[in-house]
Amino acid sequence: MNIFVCIKQVPDSSEVKINPETGTLIRAGVPSILNPYDHFALVAALTIKKNNPDAVINVITMGPPQAKAVLQLALALGCDNGYLLSDVAFAGSDTWATSYALSQGIKKIGKADLIICGMQAIDGDTAQVGPGIASQLNIPQITFCDNVDLEGKKVIAKRHIDDGYDIVEANTPCVVTMVMPKDYELPFPSFVDIHKASSKTIITYSADDIGAKKEYIGLKGSPTQVNRIYPPSKEVKTTVINTTSVEAVEKIIEIMRQENFIK
Amino acid sequence: MAQLDLITRNLMLDSLKEYAKRKINYDFIREMDRLNECPVEILKEMYDPKVLGVHLISIPEEYGGIGGGTLDLYRICELLARIDLGIATSVFATYLGIDPINVGGTKEQKAYWLGRIARERLMVAYGATEPDAGSDLVNLKTKAEHVVKDGKIVGYKITGLKQWISNGGIADLYTILAMAPGGPSWFVVERNMEGFSPAHHEDKHGIRLSNTAGLSLDQVYVPAENLIGGVEGQGLLQAQAVFGYTRLMVAAFGLGCGWSALETAIRYSQQRIQAGGPLSEKQGYMNKLIVPHAVNLEAARSYIEYVANRLDSGEHGLQTEGAIAKYWATESGNKASEDSIQALGGYGYTRDFPVEKIKRDVKITCIYEGTNEIMEMTIYRGRWQEHLKTRGNYYLEMAKELEESSKNNNDSGMYEAALGLKALSVILEECRINKLTRHQYVTFVLGKLISMAEHAYIFSKTASKEKFSDSVKFDSNSYKAMSRVFAKTAALKIAQEGSALVLGANDKSTNLADKINLSEIEKRQYGIINDMDIISRSLVQVFKSR
Repeated sequence: MNIFVCIKQVPDSSEVKINPETGTLIRAGVPSILNPYDHFALVAALTIKKNNPDAVINVITMGPPQAKAVLQLALALGCDNGYLLSDVAFAGSDTWATSYALSQGIKKIGKADLIICGMQAIDGDTAQVGPGIASQLNIPQITFCDNVDLEGKKVIAKRHIDDGYDIVEANTPCVVTMVMPKDYELPFPSFVDIHKASSKTIITYSADDIGAKKEYIGLKGSPTQVNRIYPPSKEVKTTVINTTSVEAVEKIIEIMRQENFIK
Repeated sequence: MAQLDLITRNLMLDSLKEYAKRKINYDFIREMDRLNECPVEILKEMYDPKVLGVHLISIPEEYGGIGGGTLDLYRICELLARIDLGIATSVFATYLGIDPINVGGTKEQKAYWLGRIARERLMVAYGATEPDAGSDLVNLKTKAEHVVKDGKIVGYKITGLKQWISNGGIADLYTILAMAPGGPSWFVVERNMEGFSPAHHEDKHGIRLSNTAGLSLDQVYVPAENLIGGVEGQGLLQAQAVFGYTRLMVAAFGLGCGWSALETAIRYSQQRIQAGGPLSEKQGYMNKLIVPHAVNLEAARSYIEYVANRLDSGEHGLQTEGAIAKYWATESGNKASEDSIQALGGYGYTRDFPVEKIKRDVKITCIYEGTNEIMEMTIYRGRWQEHLKTRGNYYLEMAKELEESSKNNNDSGMYEAALGLKALSVILEECRINKLTRHQYVTFVLGKLISMAEHAYIFSKTASKEKFSDSVKFDSNSYKAMSRVFAKTAALKIAQEGSALVLGANDKSTNLADKINLSEIEKRQYGIINDMDIISRSLVQVFKSR
């Protein structure tokens, strides 16, 4: 049984601030972390492995050389193999190009029975890469799950919907994206496990190694072009209504309608 | 000692942070502090290799540990101190207790004892200090007498008292320094040995989560194989061999406590609105209470890392360097936490905020592993010899190196650091010519000035590099500003305090201001206020309010 987990190294968003003048992220002193949703995806894969000791967990990420840190973390948590897709040609990839690169990487490494991704990364919040991989590989996808299991060639996942959840089944191979239960405490590895993981080899693949076409990766291969990043305006408008309370209430309701707070 | 790779070290730091976030929050620490209680269960869990295995970092891989380098241990110690210095002290006591075995043990002893400590998660204590022997271990009273059978020494009976022993009441294993017939020697003593009894847990000013107790040894029999190294009389050498390294860990404690208090103050300053704006925007507040401490602490960090890297590259001893690092980092940490209370005003004086506790805790770093007065003497002794050996050129050579480098680029204050080194050289020479070091006080002050000058030397070189250590949280612009402020301040202090010292001890020194080039040092002070403003803005960015 071959499980793939796609993970990403992201800046710790709780530490990031935006420079209001330039609109750019202030990254000074901001630590990089494993995207928490991906961390939960690792937990899901490790839970499956606990019940299926023969399962092999391959962890894959795309990023600069320092992204090895999240792969070593995954290995320390108990995953089997780590793969880094790293090449200047990948720089600037949007979600489409990233999905393409990851799916090429997965194809290169071996046959996947199950691909688990975090629902989204906390730096971009797009939730597009998991479904993108399913689309690139032309396999089914189950999104927004907080639990996933494998029974033979069947994937069973608990999928969250607005007013409850669905239990969804799909045949392998399949992509599942994970949401995280509220207040879930993600596991952390011991010093011993981290040390052991440091001696495991992490394989690095370039764009050529995975047979990625240059026109589908990087900034040039990305259909999405980011125009500008800026924080939402926090402007406060004040209107003083100086009249009787009945008229004031009517006026407030009218303003709220105009501002689309009520219909 | 080989260092762990950067990713491995950072992952370990992350795991320790995460553990502390879940298990050692401030409410818990505050209650343990109030109760004067050591959280033994927490410590045991931290030693559990399935949870953390924090003790394994000081045990070589071949004996079942992880085998971290000095740099790794300093980072762990700094983080432990940020979490709680009492807990840090307890973990450090195990590191320290292991040292005599690591340094002096035979291969078999290392395999047996270190293997057991690793496997059985044993807490260790280091038993050197006695009621009448603190920094002067030569006055050791604890005796180890031969037990002879069939004409052969089969063991020792140890009798004596030990005092201020961290982990004293909770350790499983003790390394005890005792006077054997062949001289001071280290012995391994197990808790359950007959005649061994720890005293009560001391009621201390700070580090109340660290168990501190006296030990009573009454004819405690230990087999001959518990004599570390198998040869008597090696004890003091074995103790001194690790001072460079152990004092560096206490330096890391000063650094961790100082930054922990300062971070609290910086985050608070952004929330506390006074006279229409946050305190963090008040130049006087920041440049008086916060910025100077951030500068001193980052100077301390650069020096700690410099010494750690030297030890890890295979150099031995470095006792003077260890003392310089310990002295400056702990003095800076102590002062930073003092001003952090001030920065929080009335809130800082309550136990609702952690700075009051940090201030109580950090004071011990100026006392244990050799008081800072002993550090001043050690620094003076070590460098005085260098000054004499080189005929006064020791600091002039360093100054020359910085002057040369500063010709290309002086954005990290190398020129000013060189002025401080040259002034120090003049002060030392005046002390030599006029025989001023007969005054003990002069030697203390020289120890302090030497520490400042050498920190300026290392900090200005470190900050001039293109890439900084990953432990530095600041961008190049503000880090260089810190180094400039430090170099300028150090040069002026060396000049002023050094002159006052020389002139206060004799009336024969003339033209001192010219000799130390005081006018140039004064001229070079320009720009400090602007640099402090740069640092202030950077601190607020790095330590954002939560």
